Amino acid sequence: MVTKYIDSWKDELNICIRCAYCFAGCPIFKELGWEVDGARGKVELAYGLLMGEFEPSQYIADKLFQCTFCKDCIEQCSANVSVPDIVTAIRSDLFEAGYTYPGGEKLLADIKETGNIFGEKLKPPEYTEEKQVLLGCRLLERKEDSTRYLELLKKLGVEPKTFDETCCGMPFAVLGDKKGFAEQQDKFRESLPNKDEELICVCTTCIFFIQKKYPDLKATYVIDVILEKLRNYTGEIKKLGKKVTYHDPCNVARGMDMVDEPREILDMIGVELVEMPTKGKQAECCGGGGGLLATDNPLAEKLAEKRMKQALDIGVDTLVTLCPTCEFNIGNVSKKNGGKLEVKNLLDLIYEAVV
Amino acid sequence: MKQEIIDKLKAIVGEENIRTDPADRYIYGSDSSVHVANADVVLRPRTTEQVQAIARLANAEKIPIIPRGAGSGMSGHAVPIDGGIVLDMKRMNKILEIRPEDTLVKVQPGVVDDDLNRALKPYGFMFPPAPASSRIATIGGEIANNASGIRSVKYGATRDSVLGMKVVLANGDLVNLGANTRVEASGYQLDRLMVGSEGTLGIIVEATLKLVPIPKYRCIGIAKFDKLEEAGEAICDVISSGAQPSMLELMDNIAITAVNNTLDMGLPDVEAILLFEADGMVKEAVDFEMERIKAICEKHNGFGIEMSYDAKERARIYAGRKKLFASLSRYKEGYACTSLADDMAVPYSKMAETARKIHDVADKNNIIMTAYGHCGSGVMHTKILMDPTKKEQWEDARRAVEEIYDYVRSIGGTTSAEHGIALSKAPSWKKEKADQLDLMRAVKKAFDPNNILNPHKLMDAPDDWVTATKLRYPVEK
Repeated sequence: MVTKYIDSWKDELNICIRCAYCFAGCPIFKELGWEVDGARGKVELAYGLLMGEFEPSQYIADKLFQCTFCKDCIEQCSANVSVPDIVTAIRSDLFEAGYTYPGGEKLLADIKETGNIFGEKLKPPEYTEEKQVLLGCRLLERKEDSTRYLELLKKLGVEPKTFDETCCGMPFAVLGDKKGFAEQQDKFRESLPNKDEELICVCTTCIFFIQKKYPDLKATYVIDVILEKLRNYTGEIKKLGKKVTYHDPCNVARGMDMVDEPREILDMIGVELVEMPTKGKQAECCGGGGGLLATDNPLAEKLAEKRMKQALDIGVDTLVTLCPTCEFNIGNVSKKNGGKLEVKNLLDLIYEAVV
Repeated sequence: MKQEIIDKLKAIVGEENIRTDPADRYIYGSDSSVHVANADVVLRPRTTEQVQAIARLANAEKIPIIPRGAGSGMSGHAVPIDGGIVLDMKRMNKILEIRPEDTLVKVQPGVVDDDLNRALKPYGFMFPPAPASSRIATIGGEIANNASGIRSVKYGATRDSVLGMKVVLANGDLVNLGANTRVEASGYQLDRLMVGSEGTLGIIVEATLKLVPIPKYRCIGIAKFDKLEEAGEAICDVISSGAQPSMLELMDNIAITAVNNTLDMGLPDVEAILLFEADGMVKEAVDFEMERIKAICEKHNGFGIEMSYDAKERARIYAGRKKLFASLSRYKEGYACTSLADDMAVPYSKMAETARKIHDVADKNNIIMTAYGHCGSGVMHTKILMDPTKKEQWEDARRAVEEIYDYVRSIGGTTSAEHGIALSKAPSWKKEKADQLDLMRAVKKAFDPNNILNPHKLMDAPDDWVTATKLRYPVEK
């Protein structure tokens, strides 16, 4: 197999001392239990393929595509080895060698055709004011919710401007389609009304990815915008009096180092927060990231089920989060299990308190 | 391995608990050492009966068995030098009994140290060895390696916390070693023999562990030193004064720089740091110990001393040490941290001299070495930082390892304090234990006449660690 992408990570593969500390929080390792399933195992797979220790196979590809990019491995690693970047590189080599997934292939084909992960041409609610707002694929599909979030911004003094969105390209990148990603990046840039102006991103995955892969864009996260407005808000903020738990999305807590801010907002809107056993940067992944929903849906759902049970075990009936993918995955599993846990976006609670 | 054997193993553990894919065989042939050698098959037993059946079959067929915990050993303990069966014990991870009234706990070998301590916390007890790898280290691995950690100065190593164990022997027999009591006077203490035997004498399937109460108060301090020797003198003085630290750690300037490079922790740019801690049930007693240690540090020109009981502050002060091991890989671009000459114990009075010697040996051999460790227990750690892709660097490392351990022996120290021997420290250790090797081989033969349990480790390891196995790094030809 040609290993042109992983080749540039050779030094990093040597930096990894294989201490195995990254087993500690790896959701895939905890669920499946073989060392090949853990973060260190994936690094060793990448190294083995690079050095020709073994031949590529569908089994190895399966293992490398079972990663949610939750970043707990980076959190555990004292050498700051970026396992997700290594996994992305080796996935790219595998992709070019022909190792793909039916679910993944469909996802990428849908985006190519429609600009959206759902394979439908979806338009955002029409707002024509001042600030560019990117809703992201998942929220485009939830038009009523999106409208509320845009109204919330308006109420807080941010006048939104929506546009004909196309996917930021994250699925291409994480599933290893480098060429597809380059093409989608061009399309994404072209879709922006103004590349030099601030772009407010509502989706946690989009903001994390855009900040990393489009450093030239002035992307800001909607929660940063809202929190600043709320801190200076002179209107009424209702105290909701609910009891909820908060699920830290990987891209928010570990990816963007944002742990306290959502909790500050919950406090502002009078919500009683009951924490799950793992929270903040130690929070367990819902299983929805890294393309796992497309490549191994049953595994993604198993991880979501664990998180759902953790929430129910602490005696709450509402789980609040920020990531639309976490919302979907945990919410979907909850519905399949009798709907005892309601899953809500924090933006809905803020809307309720402010608008 | 013959398909017939694989089929029999499959029948024992079930299809879902056996792996023969080349990728798995490679992964289970590597650990945190420089060594790698492919396993033939990887098994995940769930019961003692399965372990017994595997041992019976392997013994009859003379197939090596390599028990494996987290695979975090630094000397190649779990590397299957001759292939064979790697026994992944992580699925045998039940806490069987917590008996606070007897201050003991019974566990399966795959229980992770941190998980055990979380389970013990509500009872007010802890299992104290606390290796840095406690988040992933399994109890079976800790026993096989006689692991210890930062608090060994007060609480000892794993050996001091093991009361007994159930062990599957090479022929598949199950034996109950040790006792459930605090003391056991007579006869050969075979449970003690198992601790530190690195999987060469038996497969641990259950352990009875001694617990200690969680101290109510814990205070940590940090002192800076412009001279490494002064930090060394302070260590010696603290211990000989009768003070009772629960932690006394040294970090040299290379360790400090590595942590700062990787994690931007802003540790002071001094020749050495001492981290010290005292714990206890009475605050005045902890204060007394801390003040005693502080005064000794000051006497040896320690400065910038900070002390705190606050949990967050304690975590901040200790964070640099906690994250040190892997950080060393970031000390210099193009260099990697290799687990070589990683561990030794020396007399307290030789601590500073040893640290200097380590730096001198490194300079002489074109590599970088750091000096740090649980110096309160006489434990000195180092690592060799080098370009692992260069063949000549391995020759440099070989010389350095030999010189370091020749020196350690010359001052009355020992080759391993807590990381074990396995492959990469074996040549030096065999020199140190030359008068006992035949006795050890006789013991091994008594337990394992067919030499199937983790063969070619300790006294039977190859004399040249560099060529003992393939190296895990891409060394240029």
